[in-house]
Amino acid sequence: MEKEASQLEKDHVHRVYEKIAPHFRDARYKAWPKVQQFLSDQEPGSLIADIGCGNGKYLHINSQTYKLGCDYCFPLVESARNDGHEVMVCHSLYLPYRNECFDAVLSIAVIHHFSTKERRVRAIQEMARTLRVGGQMMIYVWAMEQKRRKFEKQDVFVPWNPSPPSWTLSNTCSRGIQKSINQKDKRLAMDQHSTKLAGTSKARSSSFVGEKETTHNLFEKSLRWSLFSRSLDSVLDLSNQWHQRELNTFSNCNIQLDELNTGKLFEQIRQGGFMKHISNLSLRCRVCLPDLLSHQKDVKQQLKIDYHSKQSAFRKLQNRSRTDSSLQDTDNDCSMATRNKQPQRSPNGACLRYYHVFKEGELVELIEHHVPELHVIHSYFDHANWCVIAEKIHVWKI
Amino acid sequence: MKLLTHNMLTSHVRGVRPGGGFPLRIQATEVKVNNVDFNQEFVARMIPKVEWGALLEAAESLGHLSDLPHQLPPEYENNEDFLRKVHHVLLEVEVMEGILKCPDSGREFPITKGIPNMLLSEEEET
Repeated sequence: MEKEASQLEKDHVHRVYEKIAPHFRDARYKAWPKVQQFLSDQEPGSLIADIGCGNGKYLHINSQTYKLGCDYCFPLVESARNDGHEVMVCHSLYLPYRNECFDAVLSIAVIHHFSTKERRVRAIQEMARTLRVGGQMMIYVWAMEQKRRKFEKQDVFVPWNPSPPSWTLSNTCSRGIQKSINQKDKRLAMDQHSTKLAGTSKARSSSFVGEKETTHNLFEKSLRWSLFSRSLDSVLDLSNQWHQRELNTFSNCNIQLDELNTGKLFEQIRQGGFMKHISNLSLRCRVCLPDLLSHQKDVKQQLKIDYHSKQSAFRKLQNRSRTDSSLQDTDNDCSMATRNKQPQRSPNGACLRYYHVFKEGELVELIEHHVPELHVIHSYFDHANWCVIAEKIHVWKI
Repeated sequence: MKLLTHNMLTSHVRGVRPGGGFPLRIQATEVKVNNVDFNQEFVARMIPKVEWGALLEAAESLGHLSDLPHQLPPEYENNEDFLRKVHHVLLEVEVMEGILKCPDSGREFPITKGIPNMLLSEEEET
């Protein structure tokens, strides 16, 4: 069991993070505010360990303290090092630290990558070992219960998309989308790309529309996965311009595909505040994350599309999107291309990360029943994560 | 790797006696010295958290022992001169390339670009 667990983690956690490490430099990955608060609250002169520090996004907080980061992933650790942080490479089940040397320990979005309960308990015990009595530990893990969507099971594989494909097809970015369309559509795609795409253009063959649908759906799916997985990783920075544009695009695109297009609805979206977009988006997302290993269907077979209504809807959107140059995503070409070369992919080509998502109370129960040296002080739900703050206490052994 | 970091590190190779993996012996091939802002209170608070003997040993192996005393002077919190020396050794001296050697098992952990690699092989994991 141990060997299998370890191998699963190697394939679907370690290798994936190594591949996606370069993308973690993105400013999209902000720090959780409550974690920042926890760190800021530590006394000056505190020694703090960030176990599974990734690219070190918490290591700069509270300069009055000394922080040590560690992670299994070399590229991420190197990235943190380049920012001037003290970091090392190690495995979180075998921490290279002496007993009770830290005043505080962080474990943010790490333990959910362990594939057995026993290993998750060991990870917590190992961190508790390095924490001094009276010191505090903060643990964040992905929650099974999300506000608008639910995981079907606790052990899941989540695809990771570097960045969502850009919408407009009439510029260079569309080449990226076209690369992901399979061979038989390629000719159609090339034809379409050279066609002048005016909003009121008459000559549209059904094959052209057919190719569009594939693109639509790939884009939609990719964007969904991307937003979903990134929103769990960190605070989806809604104030960020990049995200705003992305979500605008998605909500417009999605709404028009799902409903018969009415100019009124479209206008509503345009006039409505940004948060309306978000709530529309969430309602339409309906992303239920199946275990992707059992997901066998061809992406195209899932499409149920009324060509005519989509065609007019698409034309309208097309028109709009061409004037919005902010939709260009220059990473898109590379990411689409590299994705196609990688093994172990979901249908739309992303890397699969393994997660054990936690049910309400599960993390607390794990600590209370298996880690007597930790006393849970505070447990809460924070934007798709179950969180615990626990204090190290003396355990008297008789 | 700064010496304050080194002071927390230990080897957990299977078979090593409890406490036998600390402190790791440093064999440095590249050492860097930086300028780090001196924060008196910070250094004073760090001192009780470090293993003093291990710090001296590490500083000496890098040629930065200077005149750090073997025993902590009384009321060191107000001794700026002393604290500046400690500050230098804890935070300004960095091992960029080298090896950390387990005193018990002899197992060597490499340091590359300032990053220690403390990964154990499967056989070494307890």
